[in-house]
Parts: sequence; C-alpha cells; structure tokens
Amino acid sequence: MRPHTTLSPRQLAFALMAVAAGGAYGTILRDLLLKIDRPFTGWTGYAPLQASSPWRAAQDWTHSIPWVLLVINVVGVYVATRLLRGPLRGHDPNDPVRLLVITGFLGGLTSYSGLFVDFDLLWHRSIAGCLLVAAMAILSGVLAAELGLKRWPK
Amino acid sequence: MTLMFVALAGAVGCVVRFLAEYAVRRHHPTLRPWATVAANAVGTGIAGYFAYRLVSFGDVHLQSVILTGFCGGLTTFSSAFAIPAILQLEHHWRYSVALVVTTPLLCAGAFVIGSSLAH
Repeated sequence: MRPHTTLSPRQLAFALMAVAAGGAYGTILRDLLLKIDRPFTGWTGYAPLQASSPWRAAQDWTHSIPWVLLVINVVGVYVATRLLRGPLRGHDPNDPVRLLVITGFLGGLTSYSGLFVDFDLLWHRSIAGCLLVAAMAILSGVLAAELGLKRWPK
Repeated sequence: MTLMFVALAGAVGCVVRFLAEYAVRRHHPTLRPWATVAANAVGTGIAGYFAYRLVSFGDVHLQSVILTGFCGGLTTFSSAFAIPAILQLEHHWRYSVALVVTTPLLCAGAFVIGSSLAH
C-alpha cells in the first residue's frame, strides 16, 4: 500500500484542476471516438423498452456490440498499468502527473457506466450474447492489465 | 457546443471520483481501491436511471452530457483493472481478485436498481 498524505488547500485546488483538465480531455476523446459506433443517433437508439421499434427488429444482437468502447477501455487499462508499473511507479497518489494522466485523462477516457448501458441494449436482444460480451469485456481488462505488468525486453 | 458541456460534465465526474478516493485514502489508506469501486457502481446506477429516464425525452444532447459526460467521467475502467494489477504486483492477490470480481457485480446491481427507479 502506498503512503497517504493530506493535501493543503492550495495543493488540493491544484489537484482538482489537474483531475478536471485530464478528465475533460479524456471525455471529449471518448465522446468523439464513440461517434464511430453511433454516427448520428447518439443513444437515441436506446429504446430497449420499445419492442416495436423497427430499428430493433432490423438488427441482430451482434450489431449492438460496443466495439469502440471495448477497445477504448482495453487500451486505457493497458496504458494505465504500464504507467503505474513504469514511469509513475512508486509515485504517491497525489502526484499531479498521476492525477492528470491516470485519474483524469484515462479515467475520463474509459467508462464502466457506458459499458453497462450498452450491455442493457444487448440484453434486450440476446441474453446469452450480453453475458458473452460482458465476460469478454472483463477478461480483456484482466488480460490488458497482465500485459501491462510484463517487462518488455529493451 | 454539446461537446463543451460533455467535457465539463466529464471533468465534474472525474473530480467527484477523485474526491471520493481522496477522502477514503486520507482516513483509511488500505480501503482506497474501494472508493473507485464505489464510484463505478454509483456512476453505473446513475447511468441506468438516466438511460431509461431520458428515452422519453429523446434529447440526444442531454443524453450525451449525462451518460457520456458525467457518468463516463465518474466511472473508470482503466483504474478498475490497473490498480488490482499493481496490488497483485505487491502480493495482495486476494484483494486484487476481490476488486475485479465485485466491481462488475456491484455495477450490474446498481444499473438494475437505477433503471427500475426510472420506470
């Protein structure tokens, strides 16, 4: 476990700014990347309750796999683990660079909640498909973290 | 314009998550990773509520700001797996497995509760 430190009000203000700045950029990047998956609709297609929706009937569940978000998340896990293992190793959790990059940028870039919104969409089309994709998401996260821990030959 | 609000909401979400981590870390350093788990569960619950609530409005911008922005910023996938990995490196195996296993379960529960509240 890392040591914990209490921040002075000025340090705390600085830390909040670092997290907010990183978070804003991460969120923007995710929002833009997600448009690859849903070019025009955003989540307006989000109508699992409307059984009669033609949009819903027209596509089978494989069209609802959130590939872009899955890839964003896996990359985020890999980079975060890599940084925490390498350059940011042993830094205390209040380190501004760590707050900017890990807590802010990568935290904003990756999303757990968006994943579950997509899982819910899947669930209403195919329960087995949803469970499969969920398992895939968790497993890919674990694998990315393990890969990030590995020491690469230089 | 929407993008600006999405960014702002994302920043607020991240700040809330950081404050939760900071508050827990200050008083109970060993419980720190659970703050991230809690942020993920709460964020997913809020997303579950608004995903269903906002269907009736059909407002894409509001959906982006709340779901992609705030909930996306509040939750994190990278730390949810990176921190257990580092814990595993420090030989806290059980702790690391407990975090990875409980997060999706808690999130699923929170999503169901959130969405059922919206009906």
